[in-house]
Amino acid sequence: MSAVLPAIPPVLAAIGLMLANGVVLIYMLRKVLGHLHLRLGPTHVGPKGLVQTTADVLKLLSKEDVTPNGVDRWMYVLAPVVVFVPSLMAYAALPFSETLRITRLETGLLYTFAVLSLVPLGVIMAGWASANKYALIGALRAAAQQVAYEVPLLLSVLPVVMIVGSLDLAEIVAFQTGVWAGVVPRWFVLLLVPSFVLFMISALCELNQTPFDMSEAESELVAGFATEYSSMRFGLIFLSEFSNSFVISALAVVLFFGGWTLPFVPDAVIAPVAPLVFVAKTYVGIFIFMWIRGTLPRVRIDQLMNLGWKWLIPIALAWIMIVGVVVKLAAPGGVA
Amino acid sequence: MSLESIIFAILGVIAVSGGILTVFARDVTRMAMGLGAFLIAVAGFFVYWGATFLGVVQLFVYIGGVLVLMIFAIMLVHRSPDGSPLLESRHDVAALAVAGGLFFMVVTALRGYVPDSVDQGITSGPTELSEAFLGPMLTHFEMGGVLLLAVLVAVVVILGGEDR
Repeated sequence: MSAVLPAIPPVLAAIGLMLANGVVLIYMLRKVLGHLHLRLGPTHVGPKGLVQTTADVLKLLSKEDVTPNGVDRWMYVLAPVVVFVPSLMAYAALPFSETLRITRLETGLLYTFAVLSLVPLGVIMAGWASANKYALIGALRAAAQQVAYEVPLLLSVLPVVMIVGSLDLAEIVAFQTGVWAGVVPRWFVLLLVPSFVLFMISALCELNQTPFDMSEAESELVAGFATEYSSMRFGLIFLSEFSNSFVISALAVVLFFGGWTLPFVPDAVIAPVAPLVFVAKTYVGIFIFMWIRGTLPRVRIDQLMNLGWKWLIPIALAWIMIVGVVVKLAAPGGVA
Repeated sequence: MSLESIIFAILGVIAVSGGILTVFARDVTRMAMGLGAFLIAVAGFFVYWGATFLGVVQLFVYIGGVLVLMIFAIMLVHRSPDGSPLLESRHDVAALAVAGGLFFMVVTALRGYVPDSVDQGITSGPTELSEAFLGPMLTHFEMGGVLLLAVLVAVVVILGGEDR
């Protein structure tokens, strides 16, 4: 059992981070969307509405847990767990600093994508088990979206992996420390612009975020796959959604924005505040997701499918070819 | 009982019960869920034997990809209003004999290849695997690709055949 005990604190820390993150992000979302829509967002509960989310969490916890007649009980109960657990697992490989992480995985990047790809399974289960047509349509859309966008998402990050020569997230960050020619940060966002654009589009889709939130389109499908869920079961689905945007944004920071490092600032200065730098960068990414959410209208499902299959995948493949040739010419023996 | 054997036992239970659910469930969505549990357990076995990369790929390709695609296909199929159709096999004994024979073949073929303990497990990371695939195993790798292509072409031919 000795191997189990040391694993407990990091897991608890991840759950704590996930919960805290959920509370902060819900407040942030309301405020950001509010201001984007020229309104104020929550103002009454606590100073500047700060305690509003806490009040909502209490409401959610104390609400009756309704199980409608006709649901597939076994799957209905299991679905929120299947949505929640992979979201939690996705924290395992994230490097918050040189030393602060739950575990260092040689295949960290692939691992994070792999566990995130399990979330739609829970979404489909929820939609199917609810015995509700809105929920079912939401689940169908989620499945179609997942199949269409997982490929470009993975293809978009391959150039980064080809250049670094590793799937280890910490090594990807280490590769981006320092500056080129004394002025340009060695961030991949500047070197691999097409990769970054492809990653952002596919990530928005993977997150079911506007403009790709067809699976829970509230103006058409009530709440999509989560329509029949109430109380903390709904809370778990909700929490997982916010947690996923944190994880994807953190991945963007690691892959394209140098992780916990900052250009022009020596490592010794950053080391004590590295996790804060990482979280701050991640939150900037989340803010941009919210900005997009507050600005763009939802696309249609057929437009989404066209974009994924006919544009993103071919472009991603062509870009991999180009990067592959350049990498081979620049360093015939391999970069690493 | 060591921690390793407890984990192994848990994975085994998940794999076997997932397999049983896949075969015996009446509802086709539940069958898919059973298959999902089985595939997750297989990914767990890979990680257990030290092949983390393979485990992660298993999770990604089979559960995130293939299983989601299967469930998508199941959802597109009409669900009969009076519950699921009754699936009764008229070849119980023959099916059991075939399954038993197959099981015996797999066990005989794999005996001697499965390591006795975790220490002797496969430790191939992504680098070793890709070097093998693009080096000594290139022919095998390409043959796998050609086979899949043949399957795809066959599906197109079969589906196209109905239109004509």
